[in-house]
Amino acid sequence: MFGKAALLLILGFSLIFVIFGQNFGSVTTRAVDNFTEYYTESNAHNIAVSGANMAANQIFFDPTWTTGYDDVPYSEGTINVSVEVLDVYKNIRKVTSTGTYGSTTNTVSVILSPSKFSKFAYYSISEGSSIWWYGTDTVWGPFHTQDYLRCAQHPVFKGPRTTTKKTLKYYSSKSADKPYISGDFQSGVNLPLPTDGITPLKGAAEEDGYKFTGHDTVYITFATDSIKYKYTYNGAVTTAYSSTFAPNGVIFAENAVVRLKGTVHGQYSVVASGSGGKGTIWLDDNIVYSSDPRVNPSSSDLLGILAKNNVWITKNTLNNDDINIHASIYCETGGFGAQDYDTRPVSGDINLLGGIIQNTRKAVGTFGGSGIEHGFSKRYRYDERLLVASPPFFPGTGAFEIVSWLE
Amino acid sequence: MGFSTIIDILGSMIVGAMLMLILFRMNDASVENVYNYGGELILQQNLAVTAQVLEHDFRKIGYCADWIKVADPTKYVLLADSNKIKFITDYNSDGNLDSIFYYLGPTSELSMTANPRDRFLYRVVNNEAPKGINLGVTQFKLVFFDALGDSLPFLITDPADVNVMEINITVENIAAYDEKYSSAFWRQVRLVARNLRNR
Repeated sequence: MFGKAALLLILGFSLIFVIFGQNFGSVTTRAVDNFTEYYTESNAHNIAVSGANMAANQIFFDPTWTTGYDDVPYSEGTINVSVEVLDVYKNIRKVTSTGTYGSTTNTVSVILSPSKFSKFAYYSISEGSSIWWYGTDTVWGPFHTQDYLRCAQHPVFKGPRTTTKKTLKYYSSKSADKPYISGDFQSGVNLPLPTDGITPLKGAAEEDGYKFTGHDTVYITFATDSIKYKYTYNGAVTTAYSSTFAPNGVIFAENAVVRLKGTVHGQYSVVASGSGGKGTIWLDDNIVYSSDPRVNPSSSDLLGILAKNNVWITKNTLNNDDINIHASIYCETGGFGAQDYDTRPVSGDINLLGGIIQNTRKAVGTFGGSGIEHGFSKRYRYDERLLVASPPFFPGTGAFEIVSWLE
Repeated sequence: MGFSTIIDILGSMIVGAMLMLILFRMNDASVENVYNYGGELILQQNLAVTAQVLEHDFRKIGYCADWIKVADPTKYVLLADSNKIKFITDYNSDGNLDSIFYYLGPTSELSMTANPRDRFLYRVVNNEAPKGINLGVTQFKLVFFDALGDSLPFLITDPADVNVMEINITVENIAAYDEKYSSAFWRQVRLVARNLRNR
């Protein structure tokens, strides 16, 4: 009798222990499963991201690369990458990277678009040896210089910044001069201007734009729906309907000087080629959009002013009281500046809506203890539409940029 | 009934009482263990789910299926504070921009739970009414870094300065045996929303 009771007692306890043990074991297993699942998903995700980065790197070296990767072993998993051309005309590509770790897969999709110099709010090859970005300077939009970024008293850069030189230059110390940067900053990025980014526009002008040839100077005035041009100051003016004058938007003055002003309706690139004094564009008065994108965000007016050499603000009466410029300015071997910047009268503000891409930074005025002594103050505002749009046939950087990253 | 019988009965009672005490103690320990183990499992699940949702949403800051709509992604962090963040994204990838607002509610909202520290972690999409799910979150701490890798002091007046984020989450049981709360901590040391760095 007593023996049976003891046996039942032992069996009872054993059963209880088994049930609790199984329960605890199950809980422990599920807890481990929980973290294992997170770990495998993280690994699959990291593998997919790595695949996308590797593909982006391949496309950086070879913009025509569409081979992709097929079951490439990576970090104890595999990478599969495909490259798809979404838009043949605009050359927009999509990279789809799938990372597999165990039985878990993760996908990262990246869209790349050809990068244009027009996306820059400010670009320069040379910043000059003694020109500093000061605390009163603010630059909106992407910025790149092949030179040192020289900072004094916390200048503000609102947008991604890249420099070729791997260090910043501080006027006195980092604490006193460190720039305020919104967005990304990368040093060691080499992005030279093309040696001949202008010539391809000549072909575009010959194809479906307009090419001036055999004239030393071309005076072009945009008058909203029409374009007026002449070849001498007192010469006869020819007026053309803008939509039929240069259907693809490229107006090319070969081996000439262009004198430009007016109100632009539509999308154009005005180009001057040539060497010596040619290949220069003079801004004789305001050159603005008919619909200001700051007032009308759906405005489609867009202008590129592209000179082989320099773009100058003319010293004249019209420009002595501010000048308004709506354009992305490109100077391949020279820069953007004001004529006689150190002797002209105080001329108000340069109200620029767009960007400046120049080889060498040039001056637009001189300053003293009491403010501006000659020339202009700078009021440069970036046209954010340039992040996703560009004037017709604006020179490209030769590389792609990531415009969308989904993970 | 002799003396030995009385001794036998007393001995049996003592042994029985000891067995009963052992049984009660074992039962108590079992209940505690079941409660704690189960609580920790739930805790881990809550933490893993919260971390996955946060990572998914934060990685999509500045993303839009129609990428033309995102001209300047740096503007798409609207508010950045130590325990709240609001940003623009296309959370359901339909090509339309949405806002997502994460913030931590006060402890008073969950005074009905045994844990005095747990709070709602709100995720508000667009202009929806805030809806909280009690996952036992007791800490939701954000640290932001600028493009040069320096941490940004609060208050952040210009959220466009945000380049990299650190996310800290602590989750506790909403109730625990004998008020012995378990906690789990998750930190994403360096989360980069890739779209913030585009263009």
